[in-house]
Order: sequence, then C-alpha cells, then structure tokens
Amino acid sequence: MNKVTAQGALAAALLLAALVVPSFAEKAGIGWKETIAAKSGKARTLAELAKMYDSSSCVECHQEEHDQSRKSIHSRSIYGTARTAMTIITTIENGLMEEPYSGVKSPKDVKVEHLMGCAKCHLPQLADAEDSVARELVSTLYGWKDALRKKDKAAAKKAEEKLKSVTINCLICHNRNAITHKWQDGYPKAGVVYGSKAGDHPSDKFPKMAESPIMSEAIQCGQCHGLGPNLELDEPTQCCTSYGSYLWVYKAEVGQETCQECHMKNSKLGHNIQGYRDPAMTDKAVDFKVEAFGYHWRDGAQITPKAVVKVEMLNRSGHSIPDG
Amino acid sequence: MFNQEKIYMPVPQQLARGDRMGRGPYEKSGLIEDTGLPPGKMVKERFDIMYPLDEVEENGKTVNKPSAYDLDVEVKLWYLPYGSANSDPFLWREFAQTVSISKGGK
Repeated sequence: MNKVTAQGALAAALLLAALVVPSFAEKAGIGWKETIAAKSGKARTLAELAKMYDSSSCVECHQEEHDQSRKSIHSRSIYGTARTAMTIITTIENGLMEEPYSGVKSPKDVKVEHLMGCAKCHLPQLADAEDSVARELVSTLYGWKDALRKKDKAAAKKAEEKLKSVTINCLICHNRNAITHKWQDGYPKAGVVYGSKAGDHPSDKFPKMAESPIMSEAIQCGQCHGLGPNLELDEPTQCCTSYGSYLWVYKAEVGQETCQECHMKNSKLGHNIQGYRDPAMTDKAVDFKVEAFGYHWRDGAQITPKAVVKVEMLNRSGHSIPDG
Repeated sequence: MFNQEKIYMPVPQQLARGDRMGRGPYEKSGLIEDTGLPPGKMVKERFDIMYPLDEVEENGKTVNKPSAYDLDVEVKLWYLPYGSANSDPFLWREFAQTVSISKGGK
C-alpha cells in the first residue's frame, strides 16, 4: 500500500514538472534537447529569460572582455540609444497594428512571433520564451515611454534597466548563436562555452569549452547583420543588409577580411564591437579627398567665374556605407 | 550662396513592391536603388559653383563683375544614422578652403 502511494506521488510530481516547464516543439535534428533553452524550458518572464542566458559569472575571469562588451551597443540591444526601443514601439503601432492580418489590434495582442522581426537580431533568445515575455517586454516599452512623457525619471530609468536586462551578452555569441550549422556541428550545449579552444573550463555553470567552427568567421556576425529581408518570417522585415553587401560586393570584388578582423582585431577594440561611434572604425572606413580651384569660365563674350570642387570617396570597409 | 546635398544610402522598397520608399524596418523588404558607398569602389562628385555677379557700369558699358573674388568652400560628409540631421548626426569628414580667382587680366 505504501509502495503504491509512493508511485502515485512520483507520477504527480512528473506531471507537475511537465505543467510548469513549457516545452519546445520537437526538432528534426539530434541533440537539441541539450541546449540551454531546451533544458530550461521556455521563459515565462523577462527575469526568467535574463536568468536563462545569465552571463554575469563570466566577469570573474574575463574582466577585460566584460568591460569591453559593456561599451558596445550589443550590451543594450533592445534599448539601444533609446531609438531602438522607440522603433520597436513604432513597429507595433505603424506595423503590426496596421497590418490587417497580424492579429494585433492593440499592444496587448503582441506575441513572440510578432516581435521576432526585431528580436531576431536585437534579442534572438526571445524565441526561447513564452508569449507572456513578449507582453511583458511590450508593457515595459510602453511604461518607459509613458514615464518619459510624464517626465518621471525614476520610472523611466527603472523601465530602461529592465529593457537592458536582456541583451546580446556573452552567452548569445559564445553559446546560443555559436553554431549555425547544427546538423553538421551539433546543437550548442548547456554548460559549454564556445570559442577558439576545447577542454575544461573552470566554472561551475559552464564546466566545458568547445570550439565554435564559426567564432572567427563572418557568418557569426552575419546571423544578425543581415542579408536583407528576413524572408523566413510570416511578415518579412529588413534592417541590416551589411552581411549581404559583405558577401556579394566586398568578398566578390574587394577583399578577404572578416568582420572580426576589422571590428575587433585591427581596431584593437576587442569585444567593444563598434561601428561609426568609434574613431578606430571611422578613421579607417572612408578615404575622403577634396580638390577645389577657381577660374574665369568664358562662354563666348560672357565671362562667368566659377569654382570647381571635386570630391573622391573610397569606402575601405567590408560592406556598403550606410547599410539598411 | 550655394548649398547642395547629396544622399548616399540604400533606398528601401516598401513591402518589396512598387515605387514607394519604405521607412521602418517593418515595411522595408527590398531596394528601389542603392546610392550608398559600395566597398572598394571610388565614388566621385563634382560641384560647379558660379561666382555671384553684379552689373556695373564700366567705360560707359554695363558689364558683369564678380561681387566677390574669394569663395569659402566647405564640404562635409555626414553620417545620419536615423536619416535626419536632428537625430544623432555624425560629422565623418570635412574640407574647407578659400577658392580665389584673379582680379586682373584681359
């Protein structure tokens, strides 16, 4: 009798676990159940999503890389310079709410799928969250905007910090997005940090290192810094086009360097990955030569002096300037 | 007396159809044209700026004379990440020179 009771309790516990951990749809490939997202189950709050990809322990040994990355706008990828946050709101209002078949009549209707046009790059881990996280993200964005309107600095700052709690942090590049070809190279595993080396990693949370086949390749950045329209989405969007320009113009006709070589190594910026906001990038990106002279232009008897200004610009970067 | 702007950018096509330019990422899905600076390719511009003229009497005739013999020329390359000089503009390169023409001669 006691034995039967014990089995019943175990069955109930398993059932309970199945109810509280939202599961992912089955994937065709082998090993996806070892990913952080599959092991954690879908996040139901922004805090849970932040915890799922919490990389705060990395700073214990990687202080320099941490400090560098904090200066990069990747560390506030949803908030940006505030303009990104505003653009997501615009996307909801001028995009989703005006699209007759989106299913969004008000910001409360926004689901994860609706936000992936932005989040594919600004918060790729949102794909590992329940729709409740999309709603929380949207309500935080509107709370922030409302606080700004009311000049409530404390509330605006609180919402801003919440928006900055989920970012493109160490784990997004060094785990979640460290493998693009998952059927060839396997799915990124929980507890593993992907980089240039394999072996043990002195960390309780991430006890193993593994080589990412793409960490030094342009495609690592190209996952977000785009080809053009994201045609895999039900409603395609287009933001970055620099990876497309890199592939079809730079690689085709100009050079062989990778994104990382220019934006991280040659610039000496390391994990402070920058574009136009840093002189290390802008000083090298464009040659600008101007020549100016004047003379007395003559059209028959009519003399009309003129100045001639000749400008030459050579884009020395690996992609079109600007992109978009 | 002379002010001319040229815009270099990929011109997004609204919803990948027709002749309307898109603005937000949610409505951009193609290009109408791309006037941006391509990697590795020289882009040249030329500006011909006529000096301002005044009509003056000279030896009983009305003739045109430059109202100035020196022009201050400025060329600025701006990066406008949000398409407006009012929002996070970045002055990338600039050039300044006074261009002079001779006062004498036939």
